[in-house]
Amino acid sequence: MTAIVDMRNIVKVYPNGVVANDGVNFTVEQGEIHALVGENGAGKSTLMKVLYGLEHRTSGEILVKEKPVNFRLPDDAIRTGVGMVHQNFMLVPSFTVAQNIVLGHEPTHRSLLDSHEAARVTQELAEKYGLRIDANAVTDSVNVGMRQRVEILKTLYRGAEILILDEPTAVLTPQETKELFLAVRALVKQGKTVIFITHKLREVKEISDRVTVMRNGRVMGTLPTSKATREGLARMMVGRDVLLTVDKPPTKRGQPVLRIDDLSYISETGRLALKGVKFNVYAGEILGVAGVEGNGQTELVEVLTGLRPATTGTAEIESKNVLRKEPRHVRLAGVAHIPEDRLTNGLALTASIDENLIVDRYFRPPFHKRMAIDYKEVLKQGEDLIEEYDIRTPNGKLPVSSLSGGNMQKVIVAREFSSRPALLIAAQPTRGIDVGATEFVRQQLVRLRTDGTAVLLVSADLAEVMSLSDRIIVMYEGQITGVFPDAASLPEEELGLYMLGLKRQDPAEMEAFL
Amino acid sequence: MNKLLSSTFFRELLRVVVAVLIALGIGFIITLLVSDQPIEAYKAFLFGPLTKINRFGDWIEESITLTFLGLSVAIVFKANQFSLGQEGQMVLGALVSGSIALFVPLPAYLRIPLAIMAAMVVGFLWGWLPGYLKAHLNANEIVSTLMLNAIALLFYEWLLTYYIKPPTAGYTSSATFPAEGTLPTFFPALPFLADLRTLFMNQTNISIALYLVVIAVMVVYFLMFRTPFGYELRMVGANSKFARYGGIDVKKTIVLAFAVSGIFAGLAGSHLAMGIHHKLILNITYALGFEGIVVSLLASNNPLAVPFAALAYGYLRAGANIMERSSDMSREMVLVIQGIIILLVTAEKLMPMVQKRISSRKPGVRTGGDKTDDESVSGTTLAEGGD
Repeated sequence: MTAIVDMRNIVKVYPNGVVANDGVNFTVEQGEIHALVGENGAGKSTLMKVLYGLEHRTSGEILVKEKPVNFRLPDDAIRTGVGMVHQNFMLVPSFTVAQNIVLGHEPTHRSLLDSHEAARVTQELAEKYGLRIDANAVTDSVNVGMRQRVEILKTLYRGAEILILDEPTAVLTPQETKELFLAVRALVKQGKTVIFITHKLREVKEISDRVTVMRNGRVMGTLPTSKATREGLARMMVGRDVLLTVDKPPTKRGQPVLRIDDLSYISETGRLALKGVKFNVYAGEILGVAGVEGNGQTELVEVLTGLRPATTGTAEIESKNVLRKEPRHVRLAGVAHIPEDRLTNGLALTASIDENLIVDRYFRPPFHKRMAIDYKEVLKQGEDLIEEYDIRTPNGKLPVSSLSGGNMQKVIVAREFSSRPALLIAAQPTRGIDVGATEFVRQQLVRLRTDGTAVLLVSADLAEVMSLSDRIIVMYEGQITGVFPDAASLPEEELGLYMLGLKRQDPAEMEAFL
Repeated sequence: MNKLLSSTFFRELLRVVVAVLIALGIGFIITLLVSDQPIEAYKAFLFGPLTKINRFGDWIEESITLTFLGLSVAIVFKANQFSLGQEGQMVLGALVSGSIALFVPLPAYLRIPLAIMAAMVVGFLWGWLPGYLKAHLNANEIVSTLMLNAIALLFYEWLLTYYIKPPTAGYTSSATFPAEGTLPTFFPALPFLADLRTLFMNQTNISIALYLVVIAVMVVYFLMFRTPFGYELRMVGANSKFARYGGIDVKKTIVLAFAVSGIFAGLAGSHLAMGIHHKLILNITYALGFEGIVVSLLASNNPLAVPFAALAYGYLRAGANIMERSSDMSREMVLVIQGIIILLVTAEKLMPMVQKRISSRKPGVRTGGDKTDDESVSGTTLAEGGD
């Protein structure tokens, strides 16, 4: 085996003095799938940006195919055969799939774009690598999994031999992830080399040949995946032992906190997203909502939290109606909400951490005194919550944008948990955050439930739903198609059949357990 | 924390100063090309406002107007709303305060506060309107405020021409306001400074608006950074989806941002009428309305920086006037120089570029691959997780 990429003693110091890579040695062999893991902020993305020419190293050497290289721009990297697929897709939404793939290197016919040729070339490329796409579909209308395949094909079309995939599974459903892994294996069979950035240890075990772990800008080690254990990798990433399974003390189910009946919602586009949904959430339990994403979970959460108006039905928190009310009203009724998209809804990135922590309470004592906001209290609460929820920051006056993804999520968790809710609605609470932060968020969720809060957990991560929930409901095409009162004894395959719509329970049969 | 504050403050200041210096340099080159006596002309531009007391007065008076307008813009911009309605709010402020100054027979200590309050109220209302249209009917605020400006300006002209102008007057203007309707001089009546006071009174129109503007700056700062309304305003501006998710009434906040912004443009109008001109004239705003945007941008929408930005920009405008009058430079060339300054100051990319240059020259941080030992880089760790 020969090293196709050899990075030696890479140091990257950002202009603000942050040392993102501190003497990193990283080697990738021809034809392997090499996982690069580490917590958010460990320096793995920076390392790959340096390799791809997006960032310039402060010192060190890079050899690609045994020749020293010095990429000034990604274009240089692509010419040498290094391609990167970013976490956030960079596609033109109004173009067809084929147009996006050939963008920048279009086949022409008498100096005009040859659409037929573009579609043909694209389809051929897709078949060659086993990446299923519809070349003539408009990019905007295809699902996330296909968009990602388009990104990969775009890179291949430009002649990439070494593919860097930056957290490719963060946006995918379990099914799409499986499909991606098949495609990645096919790529390697055809002689490509893949660098796979992730922080999901399960995926490392499943897909990679070798794995390199980074922490604090340094490489902690590189080892064959066959010799790595999830626990061992987690310890290398975090620097201490990590509990991968949540310790869940038994709980006593109390009174129903949230009662939903006959809830329906028609979206702005006229789609019936929720159909006659009915269930209760009880004090002291975690009710998990399982389902393939896009089956109404997002709408359910947003209707319950006041972000969208329900079309019909009722939802009561301790017998107060919360449907078709403003978010302020819903929050005052005792609902806390961890939103699925933390950057859009959960945070104001340019505002300070302290100010992000008061959005639901700035108008109430002790923060509101006479005409003004008492910033001494704001500061004090900020210090307390930063300490209690282990938010890694020098102080609370810094903007949230200065935090890593995991710490941003901790800001949201700190705010929502400290509001002492009767009902917590947590949507994708650990999506895209690292092992350490995931462990923390899950422990806090269980703690809150054991203290008597009702928790509604929506997650695309099936393992998360199964390990955290006391009771599980399955959503399929906007309906509840199954309820499982004892989550612990449920086989994953059984749940999968309900999620795919292959099985459903009789409504009368479900009634007793909702 | 203090260090951080001062350093960001310093960076902002440096940004503005560098931009102004570059622009002045380019301006001088232009002057060299255009003028027959470039040194004289540029001297008039650079030092003119300080050479005579009346010129000094003009500078300060205009800076007061610019400060009110800058505050007005800073408020709406902070909410990420692009209201361009200051011109209309200002002219209506001038109209109502001027009318009260002229026609309401009250003693000065009642008439002046009443006129000022009325200007604030009309500014509030003329701001509320586009705010409501934006928040509830999703009407583009740029279009609606520009249209409302036109309505306000023409309404002003119509009233002035057909009702306020005395029939005997030879040109379109109201009668001069009585003393009960003009803002008194800012200069305190101290016996031992009586001569200086007379000088200022005769040569300038710097009025008690100077104190009003200082109060206004502090009020806006307090409002923006210490009150629940200011918090809502800033959160809506930072991320309106987050504000809504957190329970803030986004629509109400937007409407109020427009309306409160209008108060200060209305104040600018009363300052024009009762402080500077002492009558209502055609083109009383002299298209100053849009200059508030420049001031607010220069100040990065920070109310405490607004008066300084206004003084700097006001100085530029005053110098430009003097250069135009006392040399062969045309006003248009002066406007070119102003344009260059605005362009440079608002070019957000400039400062990071300068910073990059500075940091790449710093010793200790190496570029390229000249050394390979990693021991020599130490001391700094990752921002997160380092401890």
